[in-house]
Order: sequence, then C-alpha cells, then structure tokens
Amino acid sequence: MDSTTESVKKEAAGSGNNNSESKDENKKDDQMFECNICLDTARDAVVSMCGHLFCWPCLHQWLETRPNRQVCPVCKAAISKDKVVPLYGRGSTKQEDPREKVPPRPAGQRTEPEPGTSFPGFGFGDNGFHMSFGIGAFPLGFFTSTLNFGDSRPSAAPRGTQQHMEEQFLSKIFLWLAIIFIAWLMMA
Amino acid sequence: MANIAAQRIKREFKEVIKSEEVAKCAIKVELLNDSYTELKGEIAGPPDTPYEGGNFVLEIKVPETYPFNPPKVRFITKIWHPNISSVTGAICLDILKDQWAAAMTLRTVLLSLQALLSAAEPDDPQDAVVARQYKENLEMFQLTARHWTNVYAGGPHVNSDCDEKIKRLVDMGIEDHQARAALSSYNWDLERATEQLFS
Ligand SMILES: [Zn+2]
Ligand SMILES: [Zn+2]
Repeated sequence: MDSTTESVKKEAAGSGNNNSESKDENKKDDQMFECNICLDTARDAVVSMCGHLFCWPCLHQWLETRPNRQVCPVCKAAISKDKVVPLYGRGSTKQEDPREKVPPRPAGQRTEPEPGTSFPGFGFGDNGFHMSFGIGAFPLGFFTSTLNFGDSRPSAAPRGTQQHMEEQFLSKIFLWLAIIFIAWLMMA
Repeated sequence: MANIAAQRIKREFKEVIKSEEVAKCAIKVELLNDSYTELKGEIAGPPDTPYEGGNFVLEIKVPETYPFNPPKVRFITKIWHPNISSVTGAICLDILKDQWAAAMTLRTVLLSLQALLSAAEPDDPQDAVVARQYKENLEMFQLTARHWTNVYAGGPHVNSDCDEKIKRLVDMGIEDHQARAALSSYNWDLERATEQLFS
C-alpha cells in the first residue's frame, strides 16, 4: 500500500529524477492551500472575496470573536459570512468531522447562465416562464407553465439561500398574477 | 490550552526559527515551557535609533484563544520609549489590542515592535513622561533612550555625564534605577531630581 502511494507521488511529481527538488515543490504546493489562521491544510475550505483561504471553522471562530469588526484576518478587508465562497475540490463530498458548534459552511451560489433568447424587459429566460399570451390555448397554457415553473429549471437553488428565497417569491407572484387574471376573465 | 493555540505556536515556532530575520540576529523566540503558553522574545534595536546595538527581551504569553486574540507581550528589558512604560514594560501598540488579526504571527508581532522602536507615536503614549520629553525636547529624549539602551540592553554608547549624576544620587542613598528614572524624567536636572526624590 505504501509503495503504491509512493510511486503515485513520484509520478505526480513528474519524471522523479531529483527527489529533493520534487519534495520542495510539493511543500510549496501544500503551503498554497494552508489556512491563514491555523496554518494547517485548510479543511472545509472557504475563500473570502479578497481571495484569502481559510478553514470554515477557523474563519467562523474569527468572525464570532469580533462580531463588531468583521475584517479579513490577512488583509483586513471587510468580510462577512454571506460573502465567502466554499471550495469544492475533487473528492470533497465526504463530510469529515463536521464540528457541532460550527454552522454548516455557506453554500455555493449558482447563477444561471444568460439565456440566449429572452424577451426584452423580462429576464426570466426560456427555461422558466414563457409569457404565452396566445389566444388559442391561453388559460391552459398559462396554467401549465405557471405550475411547472419550479420543475422546469435545471436545478433548484438549495433551501435557505438568497436564490431560493427569490425563486419562492417570484413563483408566489406569478401564482397571484394568474389568479387575478382568471378573476378578471370571469368578470369580463 | 486549546489544541489550536498550541498547534499554531508549534508551526510558528518553526517559521520564526527559519526566517531570515533570525539569521541577521534581528528577532528571536524561545520556548519557556512545554505547553507553548510562555515564550521569551528578543529583538535587536534598529539601526539609526537610540536603541541601536541594544538587545531587548520580551515576555510573551499566549492566551488559550490564540490566534483569535493577540498574545500578551511586554518588555522585560527596561526601555525609554513613548509607547512603552518605563516602569512596567507595558506596550501601547494597536495590533496587540483591537487591530489584531488572526493571520498575524509572533514573527509579525516582533517585527512590528521593532518598527515601533524606529517610529514612536508620541500622540498615543503609554508613558506620558517619556512622550512629553519626546515632543518637547527630542535631543534630550534621544540621549536618555541611548543611555537606557547602554545600561539595560547592552548598547555601546556610554554617557559619563549621566553616570556621574546617577552616582551623586546613589551616594546619597538612592537606588541606582530609581536615580536614573528620576533624572530621566527631569531632563537630567540633578537639583530637580533630588528635590523630587527627597520630597
Ligand atoms: Zn484553519
Ligand atoms: Zn483578505
């Protein structure tokens, strides 16, 4: 087992003709990914908007220590819990040692790519809500697209994030619009 | 001690020992116990200052909450400086208080203290007497600081005038350091210092 990992390391370091050189290089690479607070390899890594790397538990504790003065521990730029980006490396899916006291690491925020064909003035795009004001199958088409609103998107944002809240809000608005529209149709 | 504090100091310890400042004998850190809570720091007086040629010893206490809170540092070597108490060695430096940041290390603290010796901030004083002398009579301040560096930190500049005046007071039964502190506070005016000591 040991010999296998050793050979893998050698391969990763290149031709492996000079051992000490490759070791130094490995060390440098490791330091690149050290948490700026505990100086150990960052676990549950997050990056601030100013680009500084931390373990999430370390950064969280720093922010808790000085709630009135939330600055980056390295460059003293203003930071906040909501504005850190989690780093998901390959094989980072297994959650190791999630500390009980520490809240879960903030989720990454996915922004949908700009849609190719969108109505001017409406930014909802073609995978969401079509403003199908056709006369023919109008009420039905209107309804299905409204009801499918959430499902037709490729990925719903995780619960609790800003995006999730916005989507909830939008879908509520469209539901109300639909109800008002139908009420108007009936009265007419 | 919390594990993270000890781990941090262990890692830093290697950093300070390896860093190039040590090679130039400018800063030094020594462990005083096995639990990494108490350390001894040393900084060389910066060139072109009254502290040049002196070696200043610091007491460093690492709190359990380190590095989220700063280490507690004070001068053990007596020093004449507006931002350092000439009595207790207490230091007035923002990064040791509210400007501390968790990414700072013992190395950055020692280098900041060295910078403080080069650039005093008399408007944010720790020792009001020294700060007043610094602002009102810079030459007198430099002379005094150089003399203290010579006596307490092994600096090279002997001032026989100072030594003479101190000897006069010692002959009157005053303790050596007490005499020096009184004379320093009164711009080496022997009469006023005597008056104050015997009042
Ligand atoms: Zn960390
Ligand atoms: Zn930063």
